[in-house]
Amino acid sequence: MSEEYISVTCRTKMKRISEDYQSRVPDNTALKQQQLPAYRLQLSATGILSGFFAAGAFCLGMGIILILSAKSIKEIEVKYTKICANCAELREDATNFDKECTCSIPFYLSETMKGNVYMYYKLYGFYQNLYQYILSRSNSQLLGTDLKDVGNCAPFSNSHDGTPIAPCGAIANSIFNDTIILSYNLNSSIPIEVPMLRSKITWWTDKYVKFQNPSSINLSSAFAGTTKPPYWSKPVYELDEEDPGNNGFLNEDFIVWMRTAAFPTFKKLYRRLNRIQYFIEGLPAGNYSFNITYNFPVTRFKGEKSVVLSTLTWSGGSSLFLGLAYTVTGAVTWLASFSMMAIHLMLKKKKMLFIQD
Amino acid sequence: MFCSKKKSLEVERTVKANDREYNEKFQYADNRIHTSKYNVLTFLPINLFEQFQRVANAYFLFLLILQLIPEISSLTWFTTIVPLVLVITMTAVKDATDDYFRHKSDNQVNNRLSEVLINSKLQNEKWMNVKVGDIVKLENNQFVAADLLLLSSSEPHSLCYIETAELDGETNLKVRHALSVTSELGADINRLAKFDGIVVCEAPNNKLDKFMGVLSWKDSKHSLNNENIILRGCILRNTSWCFGMVIFAGPDTKLIQNSGKTKFKRTSIDRLLNTLVLWIFGFLVCLGIILAIGNSIWENQVGDQFRTFLFWKEGEKNSVFSGFLTFWSYIIILNTVVPISLYVSMEVIRLGHSYFINWDRRMYYSGKSIPAEARTTTLNEELGQIEYIFSDKTGTLTQNIMTFKKCSINGKIYGEVHDDMGQKTHMTKKNEPVDFSVNPQADRTFQFFDHRLMESIKLGDSKAYEFLRLLALCHTVMSEENSAGQLIYQVQSPDEGALVTAARNFGFIFKSRTPETITVEELGTLMTYQLLAFLDFNNIRKRMSVIVRNPEGQIKLYCKGADTILFEKLHPSNEDLLNLTTDHLSEFAGEGLRTLAIAYRDLDDKYFKEWHKMLEDANALMDERDERIAGLYEEIERDLMLLGATAVEDKLQEGVIETITNLSLADIKIWVLTGDKQETAINIGYACNMLTDDMKDVFIISGNTAVEVREELRKAKENLFGQNRSSSNGHVVFEKQQLELDSVVEETITGDYALVINGHSLAHALESDVKNDLIELACMCKTVVCCRVTPLQKAQVVELVKNYRHAVTLAIGDGANDVSMIKSAHIGVGISGQEGLQAVLASDYSFAQFRYLQRLLLVHGRWSYFRMCKFLRYFFYKNFAFTLVHFWFGFFCGFSAQTVYDQWFIALFNIVYTSLPVLAMGIFDQDVSDQSSMDYPQLYEPGQLNLLFNKHKFFICMAHGIYTSLVLFFIPYGAFYNVAGEDGQLIADYQSFAVTMATSLVIVIALDTSYWTVINHVFIWGSVATYFSVLFTMHSNGIFGIFPNQFPFVGNARHSLTQKCIWLVILLTTVASVMPVVVFRFLKVDLFPTLSDQIRQRQKSQKKARPLRSQRPQTRRSSSRRSGYAFAHQEGYGELITSGRNMRAKNPPPASGLEKTLYNSTSWIENLCKKTTDTVSSFSQDKTVKL
Repeated sequence: MSEEYISVTCRTKMKRISEDYQSRVPDNTALKQQQLPAYRLQLSATGILSGFFAAGAFCLGMGIILILSAKSIKEIEVKYTKICANCAELREDATNFDKECTCSIPFYLSETMKGNVYMYYKLYGFYQNLYQYILSRSNSQLLGTDLKDVGNCAPFSNSHDGTPIAPCGAIANSIFNDTIILSYNLNSSIPIEVPMLRSKITWWTDKYVKFQNPSSINLSSAFAGTTKPPYWSKPVYELDEEDPGNNGFLNEDFIVWMRTAAFPTFKKLYRRLNRIQYFIEGLPAGNYSFNITYNFPVTRFKGEKSVVLSTLTWSGGSSLFLGLAYTVTGAVTWLASFSMMAIHLMLKKKKMLFIQD
Repeated sequence: MFCSKKKSLEVERTVKANDREYNEKFQYADNRIHTSKYNVLTFLPINLFEQFQRVANAYFLFLLILQLIPEISSLTWFTTIVPLVLVITMTAVKDATDDYFRHKSDNQVNNRLSEVLINSKLQNEKWMNVKVGDIVKLENNQFVAADLLLLSSSEPHSLCYIETAELDGETNLKVRHALSVTSELGADINRLAKFDGIVVCEAPNNKLDKFMGVLSWKDSKHSLNNENIILRGCILRNTSWCFGMVIFAGPDTKLIQNSGKTKFKRTSIDRLLNTLVLWIFGFLVCLGIILAIGNSIWENQVGDQFRTFLFWKEGEKNSVFSGFLTFWSYIIILNTVVPISLYVSMEVIRLGHSYFINWDRRMYYSGKSIPAEARTTTLNEELGQIEYIFSDKTGTLTQNIMTFKKCSINGKIYGEVHDDMGQKTHMTKKNEPVDFSVNPQADRTFQFFDHRLMESIKLGDSKAYEFLRLLALCHTVMSEENSAGQLIYQVQSPDEGALVTAARNFGFIFKSRTPETITVEELGTLMTYQLLAFLDFNNIRKRMSVIVRNPEGQIKLYCKGADTILFEKLHPSNEDLLNLTTDHLSEFAGEGLRTLAIAYRDLDDKYFKEWHKMLEDANALMDERDERIAGLYEEIERDLMLLGATAVEDKLQEGVIETITNLSLADIKIWVLTGDKQETAINIGYACNMLTDDMKDVFIISGNTAVEVREELRKAKENLFGQNRSSSNGHVVFEKQQLELDSVVEETITGDYALVINGHSLAHALESDVKNDLIELACMCKTVVCCRVTPLQKAQVVELVKNYRHAVTLAIGDGANDVSMIKSAHIGVGISGQEGLQAVLASDYSFAQFRYLQRLLLVHGRWSYFRMCKFLRYFFYKNFAFTLVHFWFGFFCGFSAQTVYDQWFIALFNIVYTSLPVLAMGIFDQDVSDQSSMDYPQLYEPGQLNLLFNKHKFFICMAHGIYTSLVLFFIPYGAFYNVAGEDGQLIADYQSFAVTMATSLVIVIALDTSYWTVINHVFIWGSVATYFSVLFTMHSNGIFGIFPNQFPFVGNARHSLTQKCIWLVILLTTVASVMPVVVFRFLKVDLFPTLSDQIRQRQKSQKKARPLRSQRPQTRRSSSRRSGYAFAHQEGYGELITSGRNMRAKNPPPASGLEKTLYNSTSWIENLCKKTTDTVSSFSQDKTVKL
């Protein structure tokens, strides 16, 4: 009986094997046999060296171009925290928030700033990149869809009586609220206010996608049921008294501020020169003054404020750093390729000698 | 296992036959075996517990908990939980399937049926229901279900034959016998059912050749020993039935006790990674502390004022507490230095490599249509680091087939192939084998290529006749006719089988034997020889002889034996022939054949009668009997006439020699661990080129006591050092040298040594105080051969090397006796396609032929190791570069735990953006082709020396990562300082910075690949494309409109990536981070090229010309003669034959026998037992003495 049993199993086994025979042979494909055609990167001396020389040349060239263009930028920066020390002192005490303080800073422009001129405010030591700070905003509120969505805005989500703050959050609350007016003293007589544009200083997507006012007949009713941030003197729908379209969440100064800076020292676009009348070519040389309504306190955290006037080049307002970095990289690359070449040639000679021996 | 505790308490076992109630008291394990780890209920808790024991998983769980605390959560929880759950589930599913298969195979074994005597009736019962004390009936060719006490069998004297291949790898049959008291029971079911003997015996243990117990039955006691026991795993052969009583069942059986524990195998890279993860965690803590301190200071100096300005509630948190929270936040942010995707990727890469092994056509054995199989998918890179291979012999190195290859008859050599010109040629396919079809009794499988022998026979060469007659007469083979009328030879030594078969094919057919006669059909005529005396083989004599009276009435002594022994006993007239035969023997030995010398002697009646009288007297003696008999044997076996020599091939598996040569070139040491005899093992060592005559010395350790063994080891060591010392520099202070020995010795030893150690000695040598001597000596020898080792000893040897050398080991074997060694080695390889599956089931890799080991290690292993190391280096570099920018950014964001990148980027970076290119590299990269890997085995060495990924390399990766992170961070930082967009607008905002950094990172990271296949191209460019498309999607208006709070980066990509300035930054970052790496690599290849660099270069320069395959010259063995007489031979069969007890009654001895049986027939079993125990386990004194 047992023998029978064994022979049966043997037969089934044989059958199975013959059935499996074809399927058990691994496929002869390049992938499965690891024979895929491949390019093997070889660090050949000529390839590397020529690559290095080319890269070095490119970097050097680019560096020089960038340095030259950075040099061509005309830029003037006026730090006014120390100059307006009295105002700074006043702002140190938060209770003085309703007292106005102005400050005028004259300066002389020795050369004409040709072309488009941009006015920036620059803050030193203001940490717009703090984790809690960046979080403290509500994009859905700023989109105008849900004014009551103040989820991430702590500690600036609701006022004491529980009404939601619009715009909520620490970023909005800490908005830069100095006003800077540039005036031109044409003949050392009555200063002319330099015409400045407050439009197109934001990213297109910010203005038209990211920020929207809640829809309603007018802005004040749209923002009904909300309250202004504690630090603000005016509600959000009264930010720009001159241009009713520049109010609410769509206020361009507000949008610029809401785009948080990467580093504690940053400059943000404030105004663009409106190239009309005297200023059709840019800012002519001469005497100017900044008239600043000083509201934004910085001295308490050892910060500083300045106002910057600047022109641009093909690559924007690039600083010297990039040009220098390119030049250095190019130089180092060339140095490396020369030394590599030397080492390689020496070695080759040695090898040749060895072979001759 | 759960019952292991109970087992250790058992000192003595008492079993009563046929009495389950009585036996239940002791709660012995039943015959069910468990190899599975979980069941349905315990799976989840046990598996989760096991998984979280892995450092990495525990680490990620810890991180996850941290992330759930809102105060310190700086990353959203989904960045960790999703991959963690994924990893845990994947592993759990894998473990579950593995265990399912274990359950299945357990069930299959547990549900095998065997006949059990229950309630006085034979019933089919599943194995798992067999209890201790049950009486089991076994039939021919059945597996034994448990360890049984043999009660009775169908054979005379209740003998039974078993094959123990599963246990010790020996394929020759072994004899067991029942006690005479129980053998009377026969097959009488009623009497068996009434059998109520009580066995008291030793507790379960793993000693295969030892058993001690006492059977109490019918008021008398009988001692039991190993000869009465049949072990689980054996197969009953040549015995139509037998009855046995279960002594040990299930986990208590010696087979299971010998199988060793299943251990969770981890690669050394895994272990290194665990250490590195701890280091990295330490590094993280350091970074966290630095940043936390920074945060405290910042909060104290700046933040306080800044906070009040921002109307943060004052006093809500003080600076120290803030620092504390920051610490944890940074731990979370910086955790990506060891991302969980590392572990997933490693598993994926290993899986890919496993598939390559499964798919490899060059490891597919078409003979049995068996492809190679990677049964474990987690060990691949360890295949590239093997230093020691432990190989079984039978079935692994050899095919266990003996074939008669050549012979030398009267000074003429036969078996070589000659061409028409009479010149020796190599064997080719054209050669036609000798046609044996005229001989109806010929064995079809036998092939012989030299026609001249057949011609000599036809011409009537009397010497050739005598030669073949001897082969047909002088042996211990038993013949049988099967149902088809074919002659079947039962051989207990395959060598003899080969010789008798050869004689059979050349017309000298051994037909049958009785205790007094041997019938041979000589070229068609039946001749009956009277067997007058049988001078049995033993280890000292190394020869056997028969004395027969031929039909003409002449008395002849036929002798075959080891040449060295036999040549001393030749008649002086043989000198010329001796010289000729010696040359032939050397030639045979040179080809690795087992040789045997053949001689005869004519005896005259008178002399023989005298001698025989003396022999009978000697047999009657009580003391010094053996010595006297040995002396008489010596006396008659002299003045022999040399006939010639035979050469038998113990057929090696294909390609064994090449494989071993190549693996040795790769500096892998190969140890042979075999259950076979010392002579066989040494012979195979020579045949495989592992032992050569060029070796300075071959140490043979065969002591029987611990002291002897130690002495021999010391002596061998002294010998080794002595030669070495004298060759280096005369006197050296001994102790100093001894101290320095370990480190220098390997380099200073000149010449090759080999060590051969047998099982008994090994048992002593493995004791704690001798261990060191053994390992020291063994590791200085080029070749180590351990013979007569038990399965557990195999495992112990592996463990020894593992623990003392800290080397990576591989064990390869084919049988159940190799299971424990396969399990305990780092890598276990099973030879598939053999009868038993145990070795394959326990193995990590399996294939059909030993020669595939070469490809598995030198190609797959090397590539796996190379790729895995490259992957790890790259991965660590990538993640250091990716993560450390957060650290630098900390100094510019008030240490507020602000991340540099978008949270989405962090979540996707390792999983989506960079996983595929790095995976493609890890799976497909090749430094040199597979052919080169095989041609230059030296390429294997970096793996053994752990050169490609170690702590040093890790620090280099780390430095590289730190450099890249510096470049990545500070170039954009510098560029963003005081910058403005092309239309004057702000571009230095946080979001643009994040996008710039992320883009540079992806570009810098993606480019580091040196082996570009189509798949690499697709993955790399695909990943870059994916990055940009995901970027633009997430920054699109649509998605922002739906989830404004989740995707605040709307419009950012569009704006930033259209700025020339941003692209200039990205370009500069790329150049600055790639350039130094290229310089470094170029100089490394130029100044310190590795072997693979050189091979690549050579191949490149030879690209046009046809690449030359380096053909290693075929190593020609030149070895001394080693006589291979009866290697697998056991003493004692002569007595069996002459007593006739192993012969069926159907051949009744002729009544008119001239001589009576030589020995006292009642004592032959005792003799046999004594002698076998003497040789098998001389230290165990199991004599069958009636108590």
